[in-house]
Amino acid sequence: MKHLKAINNKALKLDEAAAENRIEEVVAMSSVAGCASTTDPGWEIDAFGGVSSLCQPMEADLYGCSDPCWWPAQVPDMMSTYPDWNKDAQASNDNWRNLGTVFPKDK
Amino acid sequence: MKRKLRSGLSVSLLAVAACMALHAPDSLAARDAQTILKETCQGCHTPEADNALSRISHQRKTPEGWLMSIARMQTMHGLQISDDDRRTLVKYLADTQGLAPSETDGVRYALERRLNTVEKFDDQTSQMCGRCHSGARVALQRRPAREWEHLVNFHLGQWPSLEYQALSRDRDWFDLARKDMVPLLAKRYPLDNPAWKKWLGNAPKAEAFVGDWSFSGHLPGKGELAGVMSVVADGDDTFKVGVKGQYADGSPFNGDGSAILYTGYEWRGNVTIDGVTMRQVFAAQGNAMQGRMFEAEHDERGLDFVAAKQGSSRLLAVQPGYLKAGAETEVTLIGSGLSGKPNFGKGVEVVEVVEQGADRIKVKLKAAANAQPGLRNVTVGTLKGPTLAVYSKIAEVKVVPEFSVARIGGGGGSTPKVQGRFDAEAWGKGADGKPYRIGVFPAQWSVAAFDDRAKEDEDVKFAGTMQADSGVFTPGDAGPNPQRKMSTNNAGNLKVIAAVDDAGKSLTGEGHMIVTVQRWNNPPIP
Repeated sequence: MKHLKAINNKALKLDEAAAENRIEEVVAMSSVAGCASTTDPGWEIDAFGGVSSLCQPMEADLYGCSDPCWWPAQVPDMMSTYPDWNKDAQASNDNWRNLGTVFPKDK
Repeated sequence: MKRKLRSGLSVSLLAVAACMALHAPDSLAARDAQTILKETCQGCHTPEADNALSRISHQRKTPEGWLMSIARMQTMHGLQISDDDRRTLVKYLADTQGLAPSETDGVRYALERRLNTVEKFDDQTSQMCGRCHSGARVALQRRPAREWEHLVNFHLGQWPSLEYQALSRDRDWFDLARKDMVPLLAKRYPLDNPAWKKWLGNAPKAEAFVGDWSFSGHLPGKGELAGVMSVVADGDDTFKVGVKGQYADGSPFNGDGSAILYTGYEWRGNVTIDGVTMRQVFAAQGNAMQGRMFEAEHDERGLDFVAAKQGSSRLLAVQPGYLKAGAETEVTLIGSGLSGKPNFGKGVEVVEVVEQGADRIKVKLKAAANAQPGLRNVTVGTLKGPTLAVYSKIAEVKVVPEFSVARIGGGGGSTPKVQGRFDAEAWGKGADGKPYRIGVFPAQWSVAAFDDRAKEDEDVKFAGTMQADSGVFTPGDAGPNPQRKMSTNNAGNLKVIAAVDDAGKSLTGEGHMIVTVQRWNNPPIP
């Protein structure tokens, strides 16, 4: 980490939190059943136990995350499992309403 | 390049699908499980000695676990299967390769969709498995080491970037998974377990559950309820279910539906109450059923449910479960086989028996002005179990759940909003100075910014609305919000505040709610 320098606010906050040893404690707190607590950031909760450092609006770069299987338990991964998930929503910012849920229900 | 790879993948998936289609049934006539295993599953799973099939025969799971496995075969391997055949398979596999009741102890919250449960697993399991999905998803499976290892390999093959995520890239995830986690899981959750063999030999027959059941429940935001659930046989391990009940405020809780019994105790029902389908996920054993009943489309709206079969003798609940020193109030005892005068312990007098029946007794109680604060064991004849809390003043108010996650939704999208639903629990201080739970009280509800960032981002304004008298929080719409900085989502980091009135004095309790984004991958086990 000593070769990396924070250049935006989010990174500065992470640096501060790391310096104060606050990261571990929020990771533990955010582990509600079925939420992704992977902290770069999590899907539901950020590294500070809040939401302001999440990738939001998530629609802005959703496929940059679903393509490489980030949060695959919450967001359908498009690399391996659901390659056509966004076929009706090529621009996630405009067409997010066309994204469907993926668990195959009884018809 | 990516597009090329994708289309290549699609072609190969089509080929698999076509191959699978060859093994699909010619007609839609109902097939039994053995036939489905032979005609459909054997397309990929190879036969082994003793009538076994590769992979399938070496695992045990809950009905939901088997459903998720078959659904995965559909989404990942092009399996074509009718809904009827899938149901037949889930039933057969859960019955013959399920979990014993004791093997689900402590993790039933996942089946019951109690999604605000803060899981408590060891650090390694939380970091290796529970950082993406619930630890319960793992704990509700039984496999030998070889099968756990297959699962590790599958994870890395299907989601290769998992090694680059936090809590992976700082360690040799794959090595740890194979060398540490596999033996640990095989030991902790083994395929061969005496508890399962014993259960297979002793599981009750479905007829044992036919009859009327007296039930008691509690729905956050609405209150306590009680009634009778009638169960009529409707085929092998299937039932017709009728529910007739009432909330404490007098509103009805009536409906009809059906239920299936898996593995001799896993009760799964669908009952329509007032036009809304509710799922029943109960553990049914002997003369008792316990679990949660929740809306199929809104699993956050659900009630704790406990039932006793009529004809048996059991005291289930006292509603309401508290009484103020010096006050008079009516309480109702719910159970089955109730007879005799109930006793509420020292300092609590039964003034009048208002109603006496085998499944409910309503009494008027008076607590002495000097009754000592604390819990009283309630008895009816030899029956006991529930407690009555006597209090003189409320010492503390707790918001339950203390920490919770709500989700934005709707707004024209495919995922509904996930509400926050809260109870205000009053706690007293006993004569011994120790805190004790009095019960759920009416409260005035509000939300506030959890921290400075939430205040700055105006989370209270955008994240949703708290209903002041019920403690029900409805999140904002899904989608980017142009009114917010950077058009961010209507997420928020909020304090949940309950104000309870105790004889003119207002006491407040605080909880923490994260209002976050929707999820599109929503299998039955989170």
